[in-house]
Amino acid sequence: MTEGKNQVENVELNEEGFLVHPEKWNEQIACWLARSQEGIDNLTEDHWKIINYLRSYWERHGLAPMIRLLCQETGFSLRKIYELFPSGPAKGACKVAGLPKPDGCV
Amino acid sequence: MIEKNWDSQVKQALSRGLDFERAVQLSTCVRCGLCAESCHYYLVEKDVKAIPAYKLKIVEQVFNYYLNSSGRFLTFWFGSQRLKASTVEKWLDILFGRCSLCGRCSLNCPMGIKIHDLVRLGRSILAELGLVPSGLASTISTTINSDNNMGIKTEEWIGTVRWLEEELRRELEDSSVCLPLDREGAKILYAINPREAKFFPLSLLAVGKIFHAAGESWTLSSNYYDVTNYAYFSGQEALAAEFFRRLEISMKRLNCQMLVLTECGHGFVSARWEAPAWLGYQPDFEIRSILEIMADYVQQGKLKLDPSRNNLPVTLHDPCNLVRLGGLLNEARFLIRQSVKNFIEMKPRGIENFCCGGGGGQLAMTEFAARRQKAGQIKARQIKETGAKIVVAPCHNCLDQLLELNRIYKLGVQLKTVTEIVAEALVF
Repeated sequence: MTEGKNQVENVELNEEGFLVHPEKWNEQIACWLARSQEGIDNLTEDHWKIINYLRSYWERHGLAPMIRLLCQETGFSLRKIYELFPSGPAKGACKVAGLPKPDGCV
Repeated sequence: MIEKNWDSQVKQALSRGLDFERAVQLSTCVRCGLCAESCHYYLVEKDVKAIPAYKLKIVEQVFNYYLNSSGRFLTFWFGSQRLKASTVEKWLDILFGRCSLCGRCSLNCPMGIKIHDLVRLGRSILAELGLVPSGLASTISTTINSDNNMGIKTEEWIGTVRWLEEELRRELEDSSVCLPLDREGAKILYAINPREAKFFPLSLLAVGKIFHAAGESWTLSSNYYDVTNYAYFSGQEALAAEFFRRLEISMKRLNCQMLVLTECGHGFVSARWEAPAWLGYQPDFEIRSILEIMADYVQQGKLKLDPSRNNLPVTLHDPCNLVRLGGLLNEARFLIRQSVKNFIEMKPRGIENFCCGGGGGQLAMTEFAARRQKAGQIKARQIKETGAKIVVAPCHNCLDQLLELNRIYKLGVQLKTVTEIVAEALVF
């Protein structure tokens, strides 16, 4: 646990709370990001479904998936995704999944 | 920053960006300081560096050095300043990091100086030196290297349109509803903000509903559909013209008569007001905001709206580029009044409204994010004071900043576009 805590303490964030080194992400960091940056105290199974999909898509493609894929792959409706991550898919879900901030109006 | 000789690049950028009006305006400020209280950065930071007249002065000093022959020799007398590494650092911090190009200072300047425009001139010099802050530069290069500012591939966009079309059919229980794509000869080409396709498509569903209800002839384009123009924020006008020309290409390809823009502040100002100067000609088609189109529909009786569908108190954020700089003063509030029961105005509102803090490319520049979030406290306070539960903002850029303010300042509000609130009140 101490080791885990240290791991989290060494995490570098940019000014907007995104990981400076997205490759250093792990599940413990995700919980900490959710709590400290997004105010989500408990990551539920539904949250993890989204986080895991985002993470694996990013590892394969180097960018965040379209919301269509996120909905279709997780089976969640748009509204459900916005409920789970109130800051939205980019600044909420992608941040917790340790992805870099996407370009554009986000 | 390493010291370099930037003289020739500065002169080049100045001679390109400086017309008669800008030159006169650069010599007009009397330092009365009335602009200070109009700037949300100054009101929050109380730092001299955030006073618009100060931002203007640091550009004026460099202008005096390069384009005023006496200023080059009598630097002390004219307060002129050669562009050095220390000046560049100051410019980056102030012109990019402490201004959202909202134009509130310009509106309140008794000398009529367009201060925000001269800040943009300063930014264009930094862009000439290749010094655009990384987040903004990366959004611009994504736009150059792909079809749009989020790098969405054509097949991903087409897949999204098809998916949304199915959603729309299911929601309206009507299999004849379409989200038309590449329909040649349609009257309207609808240009979107890629953010809608990538992450927030509820506004696309809403516009589909509205066009359907109004019986409009319209289409989306499979490529070159991006309404945003981030080169406007960096002051790179030749590039901004290129980005606009992409929309023109889609208009020609699909043989449409009118370009209708999604709810986007800087996209509207760029396409409607700035593009002719960048291009050197007036595009031969009409350019309108979706707000104007929807207001027309309501006035023509093409949309039937039931305000009792929206019972929560609603307020409106006036996007600077759309209202103060773009001239769309009444459309959004007219549409909201028709669509909700309880509408509360912010104070101040309309052309005097405060920036949300996310404009001018601020949302893209991660390096200045903490300052942007702090500068947003004025908007957060305005929202709280209305007691509204829904904040409507006809600009996707503003909406993203408001999403952050909602979390940081615990506003507990829902955020919507005007299109969404109208679609919710729509009776078929």
